[in-house]
Amino acid sequence: MPRVKRGITSRKRHKKVFRLTEGHKGVRHTHYKVAHESMMKALAYSYRDRRNRKRDFRRLWITRINAASRMHGVTYSQFMHGLSLAGIMVNRKVLADLAVYNSAVFAALVGKATDALKPQA
Amino acid sequence: MKTYSARASELQPRWYIFDAQDQVLGRFATQVAHVLRGKHKPTYTPSINGGDFVIVINAEKIAVTGNRLEDKLYHRHSGYPGGLKTETLRQSLEKHPERPIEIAVKGMLPHNRLGADMLARLKVYSGPNHPHQAQMPIPWNGPIPEMHVDIVRDDPIYTGRQSRAEDEIEFVDAADTDIDTDEEAEEE
Repeated sequence: MPRVKRGITSRKRHKKVFRLTEGHKGVRHTHYKVAHESMMKALAYSYRDRRNRKRDFRRLWITRINAASRMHGVTYSQFMHGLSLAGIMVNRKVLADLAVYNSAVFAALVGKATDALKPQA
Repeated sequence: MKTYSARASELQPRWYIFDAQDQVLGRFATQVAHVLRGKHKPTYTPSINGGDFVIVINAEKIAVTGNRLEDKLYHRHSGYPGGLKTETLRQSLEKHPERPIEIAVKGMLPHNRLGADMLARLKVYSGPNHPHQAQMPIPWNGPIPEMHVDIVRDDPIYTGRQSRAEDEIEFVDAADTDIDTDEEAEEE
């Protein structure tokens, strides 16, 4: 059997890890063992946070819609309820966007929602 | 579509006056913290300090429910053995009337550098006067639509029809300059 030298494969492996830990702090991108650990963590976090991102943004949109609708004297929950009564199906992403860039359109939607709420009260 | 993310350069922080007279300490502090954090604005962005400035006046006239003037205690420790100092809310208000409100608001802001930044925008004064007339503060009466000025979209991917005309002008300009350089090149 031919002799196998291990330097080449391990160098390759190490390079692969260091490429992924570029920009990590201190020893975490210079020492292989620590860098490997750091890489494993980083990949796990990014996998998890790709999923969490959807929730994070939804929360942010809700915060913004709440702020914008309170300017018109309606809370977030009243506003969303009013929208569903009025049969307006605009998602939270677009609502939050309108609140920032087109507040007149947002105000019109608030008007529709409050109109839909009135007969109930 | 990309969710809006505020830039520090876009923000125009305003100044608001909160009158603490006869307000209940914690309930008052939540309102102040809300404005300092910027959560009353549709442009709220968690990673930057988008809050407004808050001037609190009549800080010494803050109220509490029950017997908390005597019962609510403020502790601090100098770090030396036996260095624990304790004072009641009443004593604290007498010695430094601004402090109870500052402490209450501080506890309601994020406990990090961003929170420290927000806290720096809180100005608490005893009595009805404050030295910030130059900032033209207005009394806080809850959020109103006039507080928000629409942000202008500047990302060409999302600008759509409104700016397409401008884009074309820019394109023509660019073409002109191209031709000029071509001609110059030929002459040379």
